[in-house]
Amino acid sequence: MPDSTGQADQPKETKELSTSEEPSGSRWGAFGFLLTLVVALVVFVGVGFFFWSQTYKSPVGTEVAQNVGMATVNGVTMPHVTLYFNTYPDSAGSVNGVAIHPGGNPTWPAYGPTNEFQVPAHALVTVYVRQYDSGGSLNDPWFATVRGTVGGVEIVNGKAVRSLNPNDIAHTFTLRGAPGVDPNFFVNVPLPLAVTNNNEDYGPYCESAQYLAESSSVRQGNPCYNTVEFSFVSGSKGVYAWNCEYPCGTSVVGFGGPMSTFGYMSGFLHVV
Amino acid sequence: MSSEDLVGETESPPPIHKPFFSRPGGKIFIIWLCMTAVGVVIGVFVPKQIMPNMLSTEGHTATVTIVLFTVLAAPVAALVYAVGLYSLLAWRHRGPRDEPPPDGPPVRGNGPLTVVWLVVSTLLCLVLLVWGLAQFTAEQTPHSNELQVDVTGQQWLWTFSYPGTGVNSRTLVLPVDRPVQFNVTSEDVTHGFWVPNLGVQIDANPGEITVVRATPDKVGSFVVRCSQLCGLYHAFMWTSGAVVTSANFSQWLESQGASPATAKQVAFVTP
Repeated sequence: MPDSTGQADQPKETKELSTSEEPSGSRWGAFGFLLTLVVALVVFVGVGFFFWSQTYKSPVGTEVAQNVGMATVNGVTMPHVTLYFNTYPDSAGSVNGVAIHPGGNPTWPAYGPTNEFQVPAHALVTVYVRQYDSGGSLNDPWFATVRGTVGGVEIVNGKAVRSLNPNDIAHTFTLRGAPGVDPNFFVNVPLPLAVTNNNEDYGPYCESAQYLAESSSVRQGNPCYNTVEFSFVSGSKGVYAWNCEYPCGTSVVGFGGPMSTFGYMSGFLHVV
Repeated sequence: MSSEDLVGETESPPPIHKPFFSRPGGKIFIIWLCMTAVGVVIGVFVPKQIMPNMLSTEGHTATVTIVLFTVLAAPVAALVYAVGLYSLLAWRHRGPRDEPPPDGPPVRGNGPLTVVWLVVSTLLCLVLLVWGLAQFTAEQTPHSNELQVDVTGQQWLWTFSYPGTGVNSRTLVLPVDRPVQFNVTSEDVTHGFWVPNLGVQIDANPGEITVVRATPDKVGSFVVRCSQLCGLYHAFMWTSGAVVTSANFSQWLESQGASPATAKQVAFVTP
């Protein structure tokens, strides 16, 4: 019975408070649950977008191989395409007014004019290289041998060779199949150093007219260049990675700096 | 009924004997039993589905080990999950949010239970330890006439040389039913020589030679990977391999530059 002090009404007030707070708590609980889902979704999408945006794309684009007709290799007729690239000691330099590597480090070597290439599948790919850089000894002499090219040779300054002196290497062009794509595909071509002029086996190629057409930043300290030509048969469609196996980078083993940064001494071959 | 009778009933209620499976302990036991059964089934059948096609005795041992450990761990994990699940469902807080429930009574003095979980835990740990040491010792024990393969990791490539043959290859080819000793090192940074199909994994450290053994017992192909994050092209540091017959291994050695006599001598050694 309620008395004059109103104490009998206290349980009623408590019940009212309870019933008025429960729905509010449930609403907050539901809101928190939805908010958690939204935040998780945003984080998931954000991480995915971050990784997608980090996919390497060459700042100077992809070099698409030029079609030069048909060729026959081991009795099989296939398209014949050509690629051209050079190796420079100064990635901050330029060739005919075109930067080798936009924003490049002057103490880092680089492949140029790009390190992204595109070739058709199952085609004969002939590559022409001008090698301007100095060099030294490979970490592993295994890479001084030409592997995976047509005939197992490269043509250095007009002379076909199967291997080079592992102590006179500037860089290598080492191309391998990607996971899930042509596991046995492998090409390795050592590129001879170009600073010294006294190598009798594959001495630097001093063709004045062509050489003087290069910019001074490229010629500085590098009196000549070597020409290297080799051919290989491209594999199935996919993305293949290539890199240099000469320790031309920074750090103890020479695989830091330009060797561990996209756009310098490594890249991708897109087989389409 | 008098008020005294009511008070008496309230103060000393008659003992209630619920069936075991109606009590919390019984319900938890049922949940535990179901979860253990599910865990055992998963342990027996799932590893064989997700493990690679094993081509060596060590690989088969690895699969058996995973099955055994999963089956042994199933009742332990199931007990944790069963207690947790039952607690969440049956003993969750139901009162007003601003009135937290009182703590439950402390559980102490259950000697038999303590002995059971200590003995069971000790036995389980001993089984795992003895089994693991036995397998580890078996893999470390040299066999007679092992094929020696020198494995070199470098950014970002594996090369394999076969001492005495002059063969140095990017592809790992092994004869079937012949124990192999891999002598693993690195030219630059730490790599991880990892052949899932052979049940083999060991670090390749610069300036050091680490040794791991395997006995291929089945013809097939496999992939060699790097298991240590080693730089820009770590993801591309992989190569293919194969377990072949002794005759095919001899032919392969010859194709890689070994003399026919050396190839036969190396390939057809009786273990």
